Amino acid sequence: MKYLTEYRDAAVAQPLIEHIKRAATRPWTLMEVCGGQTHTIVRQGLHDLLDGTIEMIHGPGCPVCVTPLEQIDKALRLAARPDVIFTSFGDMLRVPGSDCDLQQIRARGGSVRVVYSPLDALGIARCNPDREVVFFAVGFETTAPANAMAAWRARELGVVNFSILVSHVTVPPAITAIMEAPGNRVQGFLAAGHVCTVMGWTEYEPIATRYRVPIIVTGFEPVDILEGILLAVRQLEAGRHIVENQYVRSVRRDGTPAARARVEQVFELVDRNWRGIGEIPMSGFRLRPEFAAFDAERKFGLEDIRVNEPPECHAGEVLTGRLKPPQCPAFGTRCTPERPLGAPMVSSEGACAAYYHLARYHRLEPAEAGASP
Amino acid sequence: MCLGIPGKIVRRDDSSGLPMGTVDFGGVRRDVCLAYVDQDVALGDYVIVHVGFAIAKVDESEARRTFAVLQEMSRLDELEWLDELASPSAPP
Repeated sequence: MKYLTEYRDAAVAQPLIEHIKRAATRPWTLMEVCGGQTHTIVRQGLHDLLDGTIEMIHGPGCPVCVTPLEQIDKALRLAARPDVIFTSFGDMLRVPGSDCDLQQIRARGGSVRVVYSPLDALGIARCNPDREVVFFAVGFETTAPANAMAAWRARELGVVNFSILVSHVTVPPAITAIMEAPGNRVQGFLAAGHVCTVMGWTEYEPIATRYRVPIIVTGFEPVDILEGILLAVRQLEAGRHIVENQYVRSVRRDGTPAARARVEQVFELVDRNWRGIGEIPMSGFRLRPEFAAFDAERKFGLEDIRVNEPPECHAGEVLTGRLKPPQCPAFGTRCTPERPLGAPMVSSEGACAAYYHLARYHRLEPAEAGASP
Repeated sequence: MCLGIPGKIVRRDDSSGLPMGTVDFGGVRRDVCLAYVDQDVALGDYVIVHVGFAIAKVDESEARRTFAVLQEMSRLDELEWLDELASPSAPP
């Protein structure tokens, strides 16, 4: 109980762990597909507390981590242009491209700005009519309504110097790809709470039925995750496989309809490359033809860039659960958050960074305690 | 980065043609687009906000509890981006 004692709901969490252990007559393997959940599971030590009963595989749930190298390289190429102001969410700045990252482009004089909202990027475009403003539209379904609105508003307001570099992926096709992969060990999924807050869970129902796999819509707090695991274990033990909603305080079956509608108006489904995993059919969004004028790849002629992943980064094996981060030969030596080989070591929601910080945290703990006056 | 952060709507402004508002996150205030929850929310309500967009309404006790947990787990990344934010000087 070392880590959970730091958590205010430890008194609720502890009995849940006992419930899970009692409910499970054999070990089960589950996967969470949400970087926020990965962060909680590793940080709070839930995987250790359930050791021997439940194995948690940390799936491709961090949008930063699955953004393919070629999209990063396109971003770097745009950011280096003197006529471009490149805008991005903060967590993309240190993701390594083939030879540098956005932060280094900025240090060399490139105009790279962090924005809180895609509408802020649009605002920058309106204030700088003599520059091209590009926004790096990365994310899962949670972020898609915001990015869709930026394109929608740009068209509505006739902002011609604004475009978006789209790197949008969607969760259900990734779950399908994992279930289809040879040697798959995953027997149940925790689906991401805020992705489902937007999208609802109807898309997951045919997947649960087809692959006979329980899918639990789950929040990101320790108690949420333990409840999600318990629901999955009860289904597995009973031979059931349906979608259940643990995160009732935020998620409805049909999600947020106005947000879904705007996403559908602006984006269409397309095959997307996932970093370290490869192409997954119909697993992401691109702008619909009506919004082609706001497509940065088209505007700047970047559509044909293809880049091979560096062989030394084992992100694909980590993201599909075939390798735990500490088992990677580069982990903590040639690959650290300061000098990352791949995105899972950069993002706070990446599995590699989560394990790295946890290891450092527990190593430093006694020293820090000793050093305090 | 798919984490939403709960906050309280302290101002509404529909003058740009897009339902906008100001949301208070434990003292930090940001402009937020309310278009996706427009029919459901009023001044003083609590919403879950992701990258400047309200994606769901939540009740006050849930919002306060979640915010405290996020703070405790150091999961307010989005708000931390504020440290190096560009400031757009025109409303979108």
